[in-house]
Amino acid sequence: MAIDGNKIIHAVMEGSRIREAKGIIPLFGVYLSILSTIYYNRINFEFEKRMCDLGQEEKARALLVAAAQECGYATFQGIRNSWEWDEIVVPMLESREDQIHGFTAVAVAFGWGDLHVVELVPEEKLVIRVNDSYEARGYIREYGYSTAGKCYMLRGVTGAFMDLIYGGEYPDGCFSFLAEERRCRAKEDGYCEFIARKSPHKSIL
Amino acid sequence: MKPFNWQEELDRDGHRLVFSGQTFAMHCHHYNINLQKMLEEALGEAGVALLYDAAEKASFHNFEYLFARYDQIKTLKSKLEMVAIMYQNCGLGILHFRQIGPDGGILSSPASHHVTGWLAKHGRRETAGCHFSRGWIGGVMSALFGKPTGYYDVRESSCKMKRDRECVFEIGVR
Repeated sequence: MAIDGNKIIHAVMEGSRIREAKGIIPLFGVYLSILSTIYYNRINFEFEKRMCDLGQEEKARALLVAAAQECGYATFQGIRNSWEWDEIVVPMLESREDQIHGFTAVAVAFGWGDLHVVELVPEEKLVIRVNDSYEARGYIREYGYSTAGKCYMLRGVTGAFMDLIYGGEYPDGCFSFLAEERRCRAKEDGYCEFIARKSPHKSIL
Repeated sequence: MKPFNWQEELDRDGHRLVFSGQTFAMHCHHYNINLQKMLEEALGEAGVALLYDAAEKASFHNFEYLFARYDQIKTLKSKLEMVAIMYQNCGLGILHFRQIGPDGGILSSPASHHVTGWLAKHGRRETAGCHFSRGWIGGVMSALFGKPTGYYDVRESSCKMKRDRECVFEIGVR
């Protein structure tokens, strides 16, 4: 059975309407917030700009990717251990690799973009393509075109997907894979593309 | 009068998540708290200011639009109710407005996403840490009273991240 992304989107939309008395949304084993993408884009790109003023542009990019990869690693571990995952996604899984398609569908449901898996070589390589990432769109709107990729969150998350499936036992597998963004709409490519490969260093910084 | 119905406002436009036509995204406490820690560690006070500024600009943009869209919601009390509903339904927590006016005011929060997330990941802090909420409230105040962002200064006099009983925000004019 193939992963039915619409079923996952429906479950996330329904679940996101349920919150406890304290105004917290506990869903898929994590606490969710629903926030304007203006907030995330401003943090990412202004942080990069200020670090650039300090001569630390590369460090800024690495920190942004690392923040997302650590988050993706913990978040999707929580997600795949949740009762919602057991109930909705597990019946659709036929192979270990199918989990990545399940993760991708959850990311689409979260509003991160229209992610789809272009290539998956078990243990080696994952290629995810996104035509409409909120990071690239937000960057272009605020700053115009760039000469480098700007989707730091999606870069980290692509690495995290591979870490969770092929990186070994949780919680020791984070940064086993690292992703590059070869193409990005923010640098006038037609789409954003993320390629995760095994990392020899197990570190991004 | 058309009531503010957040369930109708939160919708999808294809793969996009939209709230009242504006692009939103869901993220969990791991990401939100990682970003805060990264900013505090890499830039110190400038990082805190950046987090405040990002939250302020985002909430100002959202509420400037929402107050115009729901222009039948006229009284301050009704608008504050709408703000509290939005905060709660975006999973951000609970806000209790105490005294609010064009010159500032005071409000408290017995629970929030960032407090729950910070305590779950890092435990108790020594300093107040609800920079996101301070900025978000600052943006709301500017939208409520027709002021530019940066007009208000929101300080946190007690914080649950320090294990105080509740978070208390005091708003003044800069």
